[in-house]
Amino acid sequence: MTDTELATTAQDTLGRLNREGRLTAEYHLVQGLLHEVPDELLPRFGQLLARLDVDEVLAHHPAQPVVRIAITGHGTLAALVPALTAELARHGLLLRPQLADFDSYVFDLTDPDSELYRFAPDLALCLLDPFVVLDELPVPWSPADAERVLAAKVALVDRLATSFEQAGGKTLVVNTLPLLRETTAQLVADRSRAQLAAVWHEAAARLLRLGERHPGLLVVDLDPILADGVPARDPRMSVYAKAHLSPQLLAGYAREVGAVAREVAGRTRKCLLLDLDGTLWGGILGDDGAEGIEVADGYRGEAFHRFQQVVKQLGSQGVLLAAVSKNDLEPVRQVLREHPDMVLREEDFVRVIANWQPKHDNIKALAQALNLGTDSFVFVDDSPYECGLVRRELPEVAVVQLGQDPAQHVGAVLRDGWFAVRELTGEDRGRTVKYREELARQDFLTSFSSIEDYLRELRIEVRLGTVTAEQIARVSQLTLRTNQFNLTTTRLQAADVSRLAGSPDHLVLAIQAADRFGDNGLVGAVFYRREGDTGYLDNFLLSCRVFSRGIEGACLAAVLRHARDSGVRAVEAGYRPTAKNAKVKAFYPRNGFVEIADRDADAAVAAERDGVTVFRHELTEIAETPANLRLTENFEGMRP
Amino acid sequence: MNSAEDFVVLIRDEIGLPVTRADLELGFDQVPGWDSLHMLRLVTVLERETGRTISFPDVLQAQSLGSLYRLAVPA
Repeated sequence: MTDTELATTAQDTLGRLNREGRLTAEYHLVQGLLHEVPDELLPRFGQLLARLDVDEVLAHHPAQPVVRIAITGHGTLAALVPALTAELARHGLLLRPQLADFDSYVFDLTDPDSELYRFAPDLALCLLDPFVVLDELPVPWSPADAERVLAAKVALVDRLATSFEQAGGKTLVVNTLPLLRETTAQLVADRSRAQLAAVWHEAAARLLRLGERHPGLLVVDLDPILADGVPARDPRMSVYAKAHLSPQLLAGYAREVGAVAREVAGRTRKCLLLDLDGTLWGGILGDDGAEGIEVADGYRGEAFHRFQQVVKQLGSQGVLLAAVSKNDLEPVRQVLREHPDMVLREEDFVRVIANWQPKHDNIKALAQALNLGTDSFVFVDDSPYECGLVRRELPEVAVVQLGQDPAQHVGAVLRDGWFAVRELTGEDRGRTVKYREELARQDFLTSFSSIEDYLRELRIEVRLGTVTAEQIARVSQLTLRTNQFNLTTTRLQAADVSRLAGSPDHLVLAIQAADRFGDNGLVGAVFYRREGDTGYLDNFLLSCRVFSRGIEGACLAAVLRHARDSGVRAVEAGYRPTAKNAKVKAFYPRNGFVEIADRDADAAVAAERDGVTVFRHELTEIAETPANLRLTENFEGMRP
Repeated sequence: MNSAEDFVVLIRDEIGLPVTRADLELGFDQVPGWDSLHMLRLVTVLERETGRTISFPDVLQAQSLGSLYRLAVPA
């Protein structure tokens, strides 16, 4: 099958589902189909999908994750809804939009009782365009006038971000204002045009820097989207309909927001699986030999070289890299170790898989070895056959099918912002090493007759302590990335964690672990709260790298002991089931908690509504720290 | 696009509105599911399909899908 045939099939299928009125019932097929549709056709399907009733889709697909996005800003914004619908659907997310009234963004974001805040969005978008400034210029105007208006608008956004934080908003997205040639060309003097461009871009830089002071604010720079060659505006739509940004620019913006939505929904991808022949180098290793493959020399070699550099760049930021290739292992290893021009080396990969098994079987085995869900994988291959097979066998894996021209590889892999995170932490930079150590642990495990022997030999050390300022970002990241050992799956941005850590009633504890193979780093968190003589475990999280070694039980017991010693009489804890966390369903009951049956009616109704099962521990018998690990506690400086 | 029938199919496939020939001469307020914001999208699509530029001020004054069609494909 050629690329074109595949794409025709996907768009025909979507068209047919629409004509037959089956898009709602077959919504689970939409994500995969949209990945095969060429970008220029996405607006059409966005339009069709935006007309579906969100509640009906949910009635058919109750497990479908939803992201609530409030859209406000300057001018007519309606065209953004279909664009966002399509981009979110590509990420497997269903958009529940709320579109504000025309030009109401200052009110929406300032009044804590506005519809925007009552909607309680996961993301609020405030879409700005150059006419925010241009509409306020006098006629005639000078660069100094533009400078004055720009300064006022940056100050306005600063104030709006403050109001947003005070109103308890989670994430606010604003954007830079494109500088239009229609604006600069009104100035006939070269010097004046340069002055205008200078004040305009200085304002953009100040706007971008506002994010440093407002943790909940994200500023999207529209310039890189424009640099890819889309028009900033259609003058007719701008003048007649007040839709100031072009549909193509809105589509590019929606793509950026799609990556942010993936991040706030806790669905950031973690691992990049790369084919080798035709993907990381040109030619076929088995046929052409190590000397014959295109790695750095020649036109195509240069393109592959550049692609490898970008892959290495991703790997340096915590994206796990793995090679999945149909090849013999030894020649592949040799290239990775010895080929003088390779950018990527064996140690850049968490695992190099080269064999003749079907790739989807290799992928499943890798997921198990890394203890990650296959839905955290992105698979990249130039072979339509391999891509098609992985799509069919593992629909939850994101598949990036590369074309024949390696110069396009970089753009294809970076298109969807698969690995977007709010900010990097120390954990991200060392992640590959940690996972490689983990694979070494597993090899070590197979050499023991019993798991107890193994755990004893592992010499685990656990530190449980009050979260420090430097740990806040990582703890937030854990709440966003952890899906399996996450008792309530409450996602928290760094600002939320800070707030809880600073509250006198709350206790945020970080779990750090190390063993004979190395430092695991900050691998878990406990959110505890006290009200009167009852303690509440609001959430308990542990990285999937360190499950089932006794760490979770030891930390839970330590928190219970602390509760008892500080005068608490019982501790309550909740479990909220998701598609991913079934393995911790019995975590509390296994550790001495009892499900509460005789709750008062209101509490029972509330718990039922949230789908939460509530457990209670009477603190009479608390488990000892398991003999296989050493626990250090540091509950200093805390009251609850 | 050669006929009003093609136009109906285009609206169904691109906007997702289940319109029929009979809806073309209704006022926009009577077309099931119609939203004035669909107009911008529809004009973009019509210009693409016909290869012609359509006058926006005329479009914004159109009272029905039929009159929009006649602007896009003059008799």
